[in-house]
Amino acid sequence: MAKDPADVLIVGAGASGGVVALRLAEAGFSVVCLEQGRWYDRGEFRGPELDWELTMRKQWSTSPNVRALPQDYPLDEADADISPLMFSAVGGSMIIFAGAWPRMLPSDFRVRSLDGIADDWPLTYEELRPYYERTDRQFGVSGMGGDPAYPPGGEDPPLPPLPVGKGGLRVARAHARMGWHWWPEPNAILSAPYDGRRPCVQRGTCQQGCSEGAKASTDLTHWPKAIGLGARLVTGARVRRLESNGKGLVTGATWIDDAGAERFEPAKVVVLAANAIGTARLLLLSTDDRHPDGLANSSGLVGRRLMMHPFANVGGLFDEDLESWQGQFGCSIESFEFYETDERRGFVRGAKWGLAPTFGPINAALPSRAGTQVWGPEHHLHVKRHLGRAANWGLFGEDLPDESNRVTLSPTMADSSGIPTPEIHYRVSENSRRLLDFHIEKASESLREAGAYAVEVDRLMRYSGWHLLGTARMGDDPRTSVLDRWNRSHDVPNLYVVDGSAFVTSGGVNPTSSIAALALRAADHMVATRFDQQVPA
Amino acid sequence: MTADPIARPIAVPPAIPAATPASAETDPVAPLDPAARAVLAAVADHLIPAGHGMPSAATVVGDTRLRFVLAARPDLLQPLLAALRPGLGDGSPGGRLAALEAEGDHLAALQQVVVFAYYTDRDVRERLGYPGQMAKTLYSWKVPDFIEEGLIDQVLARGAVWRDPATGRRADVPASAYEAHDAGPAADRRGEPS
Repeated sequence: MAKDPADVLIVGAGASGGVVALRLAEAGFSVVCLEQGRWYDRGEFRGPELDWELTMRKQWSTSPNVRALPQDYPLDEADADISPLMFSAVGGSMIIFAGAWPRMLPSDFRVRSLDGIADDWPLTYEELRPYYERTDRQFGVSGMGGDPAYPPGGEDPPLPPLPVGKGGLRVARAHARMGWHWWPEPNAILSAPYDGRRPCVQRGTCQQGCSEGAKASTDLTHWPKAIGLGARLVTGARVRRLESNGKGLVTGATWIDDAGAERFEPAKVVVLAANAIGTARLLLLSTDDRHPDGLANSSGLVGRRLMMHPFANVGGLFDEDLESWQGQFGCSIESFEFYETDERRGFVRGAKWGLAPTFGPINAALPSRAGTQVWGPEHHLHVKRHLGRAANWGLFGEDLPDESNRVTLSPTMADSSGIPTPEIHYRVSENSRRLLDFHIEKASESLREAGAYAVEVDRLMRYSGWHLLGTARMGDDPRTSVLDRWNRSHDVPNLYVVDGSAFVTSGGVNPTSSIAALALRAADHMVATRFDQQVPA
Repeated sequence: MTADPIARPIAVPPAIPAATPASAETDPVAPLDPAARAVLAAVADHLIPAGHGMPSAATVVGDTRLRFVLAARPDLLQPLLAALRPGLGDGSPGGRLAALEAEGDHLAALQQVVVFAYYTDRDVRERLGYPGQMAKTLYSWKVPDFIEEGLIDQVLARGAVWRDPATGRRADVPASAYEAHDAGPAADRRGEPS
């Protein structure tokens, strides 16, 4: 007997999938989610354990190619300047994200109008602000209202800011002297008990899973509630393709279960929430006679315009013991001093800076970011100079869209289910290189003013593709965009994409808060238009 | 972590299980014969000699530490054995390391094993003053130093730093429009996220 189709099938149980699932379940929709990863228990996270700095370079690497867990799919990244990073699990890449939660700025939505390059978004900051405020409450954001980097007004984060630490205080004082902007970083990490979760303990191991449950991820913040309202979450489910009918509507997904059997999940509406690489891969896989170039791809833009935020790390060394191995790995403070375009600098757009902890002694000896290895008689001095005595500015530069930066399907590599793996083609642009050079110089100035006696730079980190954006952009014109302003496919009226694929431009900030806000906005639209929604017969 | 039975990806190395306690049958240091251990000790001392109040790596990197490292990172065993194989280089630790420059994965494994073993030793960490990644209690009701020192006030006094899309210029918003605030004492707002 044929299965009744769910009202909505979501592919991916990460940030955006969790937000949409909860909103729709609250509105009474029947929701099914297919997630290729599994649930993680907090006891599995290695932060409190002695092997933390060992396993973070393998089993808990942020790169699926390094980690190579059974639920990961490999990436062919031979043609990419930056390695994409992600995690497959309930909660998605939030399990391993830092937790930084800045919003995009008003100018980020108007890059074409302001700077004559790239494109404008089909919505504004003011339109998205109410959704930022709602998702801040859902995830439990700690921060301080009143930041003059944003328009005044609106609702404050629900929790006070996390500590800025000794390093953050030093740099804040320096910026006060220089007249440069700084502000306590908003983080999706609890500074106080909230929603049944415990607060942060400043362990500094956020990127290998939060053992306290203080860092937000949808396995904690959304899925238990959505499941309580009737949503069904299937783990170990690897989606092979979406199916569609002769009326141009998607009918569900073909997927492979954890025993290797192929199954079909019918649905009235499908929502893709599999990140900008996984979603593009799935749309490109869903070819048939009517869609020879992939589903929802009449524009030819599916997979194109991949943006990953070229990243530089600038580390200052101080005489003072800053205990810089502790503190939230989401950032302590941020600066938007040089975020906005100044064409005299020789590039457009800018970067957000975030000050972060610096790991333990193993990272001091074998630096994974800026710095060198020193062996022999000077080794001990080198480690002592770095351990606990460093402050790192992480610089996220705005990554302008380029159609040649793209995700395609590998003709030679597949996962063990035989599904072609994504092939990543990505070059860092000249604008990005100039942008990073400028910001590295300014961040070095910041650290020297703060008292650093030396500054070390990692100019373009290879393993820095945390932010996967742009491969199914929004827009008002179906010829030049994949999705409409509500994240719905122009081509397939019962198909939504709610992850970072939808981004028109990248902004220069950590994007998860914007992904979550956009997903909630799309879900609200689904609820509001539920009676007008076209569905398969 | 438990291996997921879902189909394993190809073209990348197989999954590595999390650290498990060593047993007599699965002792991870068993593949290291006396010759390999001697080479490892010599290289360890070359990389991290005694000095500046710290012990040499050879005195620290014994079976206990190696067992810990290879249990947590079994993927390192084979490249480590390759890096320790007889006949590599001119017989000196420096010569071996120089020869390994052409074998990046083997060199990296050797360095990692030495560093991982050394810096997970209790005495070494105590000498460095590193207690590990500790759990600390947050007192979110305390007024932060940056408020007490007036550092936030200085940021606010400068006014808006965002670019207004309507004009293309820095927003014309008076500094008085901004006021720093958080949501107040934590006890007032436990558990209402919606």
